Amino acid sequence: MSRVDFLFMCRWGPLSDVRLTPPSHSLTLCPVYAEQRDPEFGWTGEHRQLRETVRGLLAERAPVSRSRELAESGARHDAALYSALAEQVGLQGLALPERFGGYGGTLLDLAIVAEEMGRVLYGGPFFPTVALAAPALMASADEEACAEYLPRIADGSVTATLAVVEGSGVWSPDDVLTVADAGGRLTGAKFPVLDGVDADLLVVAARGPEGISLYVVEGGAEGLQRSALEILDGTRRMGRVTFDATPARRIGAPGHGWAAVTQAREVASVLMAAEQVGAMAACVELTAEYARTRRQFGRLIGSFQGVKHRLADMAVRLEMSRSAAYWAAWQDPGTEEFAFGAGTARSFCSEACLQTGQDTIQLHGGIGFTWEHDAHLYLRRARADMTVLGTPAQVRAELETTVLAAAAELEPTVATHSIEVPA
Amino acid sequence: MTVTLPVELPADDAELADAVASWLRQNLPADWLAAVEAGDRATVERIRADRDRAAAWFDVLGEAGLATPTWPREHGGLGLTADRASIVSEQLVRYSAERPNQDFVGLALAGPTILEWGTDEQKAARLPALARGRELWCQLFSEPGAGSDLAALSTRAVQQEDGNWLVNGQKVWNSYAHLADFGLLMTRTDPAAPKHRGITYFLLDMRTPGVEPRPLKQMTGDAEFNETFLTDVVIPDSARLGPVNQGWAVAITTLMQERNGLSGRPAVGPGASDALVARAVATGAWRDPLLRDRLVSAFVEERSLQMTTIRSFVAAGSGAPTAEGSIRKLAHATLSEKLGVLGTELEPDGAIAWDAHERPAAVEQFLAMKTYSIAGGTSEIQRNIIAERVLGLPKDPDPERHTPFQERSRG
Repeated sequence: MSRVDFLFMCRWGPLSDVRLTPPSHSLTLCPVYAEQRDPEFGWTGEHRQLRETVRGLLAERAPVSRSRELAESGARHDAALYSALAEQVGLQGLALPERFGGYGGTLLDLAIVAEEMGRVLYGGPFFPTVALAAPALMASADEEACAEYLPRIADGSVTATLAVVEGSGVWSPDDVLTVADAGGRLTGAKFPVLDGVDADLLVVAARGPEGISLYVVEGGAEGLQRSALEILDGTRRMGRVTFDATPARRIGAPGHGWAAVTQAREVASVLMAAEQVGAMAACVELTAEYARTRRQFGRLIGSFQGVKHRLADMAVRLEMSRSAAYWAAWQDPGTEEFAFGAGTARSFCSEACLQTGQDTIQLHGGIGFTWEHDAHLYLRRARADMTVLGTPAQVRAELETTVLAAAAELEPTVATHSIEVPA
Repeated sequence: MTVTLPVELPADDAELADAVASWLRQNLPADWLAAVEAGDRATVERIRADRDRAAAWFDVLGEAGLATPTWPREHGGLGLTADRASIVSEQLVRYSAERPNQDFVGLALAGPTILEWGTDEQKAARLPALARGRELWCQLFSEPGAGSDLAALSTRAVQQEDGNWLVNGQKVWNSYAHLADFGLLMTRTDPAAPKHRGITYFLLDMRTPGVEPRPLKQMTGDAEFNETFLTDVVIPDSARLGPVNQGWAVAITTLMQERNGLSGRPAVGPGASDALVARAVATGAWRDPLLRDRLVSAFVEERSLQMTTIRSFVAAGSGAPTAEGSIRKLAHATLSEKLGVLGTELEPDGAIAWDAHERPAAVEQFLAMKTYSIAGGTSEIQRNIIAERVLGLPKDPDPERHTPFQERSRG
């Protein structure tokens, strides 16, 4: 029985104590996630059930007021809920293969979860663990390391993150200056790193003798220093991580680290886009509700075209974002379509989400500018998200090759034309 | 007269596509098929431009029901759902065997409206001719004083003692009215009723005396539109579509025709931005990092719109049009303007001055870029629709909605 089947059967009430034992035998051998066979946007009853279950759970245990409370107190997250998500719903392992303690779901299943989490700004270690570190481990194709770490990620006992950027904000191999010596000891600094201070495991991109490889550093490793950074978005803490001849375990083939980083980043981009869709949907609903109830000049403000039209534009951005995010989630990870979809979703949704945050505050007027109102929480998240996986402008620069190939299909002279772009 | 083979309609989608393709290969004239298979666009265009040859082909196509696949079989269709019809249409486009754009009003608007509201006589008289491409249709809805507020139209139809209607008024934005055989006409028949309740709908024979289309030159310099003057036009009561004074409901049927199965299934693929990128590479503009970012941005936006179209295609399996269509129309209008301006920036000099007869495509696109934010309902109207029907905001106030038409203010 897959995780989704289980969810289908078990409507979320109070946290049940049902504990599933994942099948011990290995059924599938897939590079990152199970292949998604259904045609795009062909939602199934299981998808809807999964969404309802997660939405119901988060509404009960992690509404946006709870995200605010945690952020204001500087807390990392609600550890009890994190454990419950793993032990009783299995969200951390939802899309991981069964042989690694997961439930063999698809990235699409996980995107549905991410959307619901984005809606309530659920933060903490879930995204860095599930959307970044786990895909990086999978992409490393290191069976031994996967078998060691992924089951513990799936059961919620271990949190992890992926440490790539070093202050420039640019996801590029050229910007990786952290070095690994022949003995696998790391020296360098990574920042900002999502959940960098508290994650149990750090998956680190570092430059070793054979080029960039991935390394796993345990939280208590020697020479590892971690310090908290002040953050724009309080729902996801970030830290600075420094290594000083810190012992690390190289995972995957030496010199193939950047390919794994790229794959993990694509997966994370799709999941972040889905989160952004959830956040935008929440903003549009919040703002529409306000426009339907707030009166000025003797009429509902939602009857003014200045308000209606801005809200209509918000709805357009939301629906286009939803299409881009889920089109990508429906492609198979590792394919060109997936890479293209991930970039498209990342570029479109990031900018749409930021604008939606701005518009939400604008249409709420003075109340929207207060600390007490949730609007600024969404704006903060939107701005932080824009940079976390590389800026939209960087993503568009990365899409140029795909765009040129598409244009060449239309106009063959493009391919033969010399295209030299100054660096 | 060609003997037309019936087309098979297997239940499986891929088999349906194959069956249509195979039917086309058997029935398309040999030189047409050869040109299509050789990818020889010029020859295909030349054959399609030959009116006699095109008419002969559309007769064959209509006889087989392939031009109007969603229509019931008894009216010259194949009784397919919009989704399945799209598979047929996709194959027609693949073989350049589809009906031309100018048949849009007839196939996509007139046909479905007649199917829903027409008498048996009207269906029998018009639908087979429409399916075979023997009649060209136009739409006579908008007026100088009734644009976004279409229900404010004032073209007057008065029923005479003999039952015929006498029509006087002026219509505008009528594509192909100067060539059309028939027009979809909305008239005011009860000025004492509020504006939506005194309208009657007719199928107008454009050859009737007193019908006078005049070409209207657009800002692009082209003249595909007309304004149409109606002076003492006598229309028989048998040309009335739907009940007297209920023409607004009939018009809604026409206006809500969105998923007609006449276009192929939507896909993520080459679009207008791809052409701009190709142009940018050719002119060297691609080397400019600012332009590159804007081009990729437009590309991302266009692909996201295509994905949205696929999504709504999948969601609206029933074929019922929805307010979500307004979301796509608004997004398309915004993108169209973005691309229109961007195109001219790829060749800044060429876009303002050119050698005789070498007007660049970028100039055409620039001048046409405002089409989609106005035609078929302005972007402002689309925003109202989205706000009201998708987001549940209050309806825009219309102080004269319940005022008898003849007592409303004018301006």
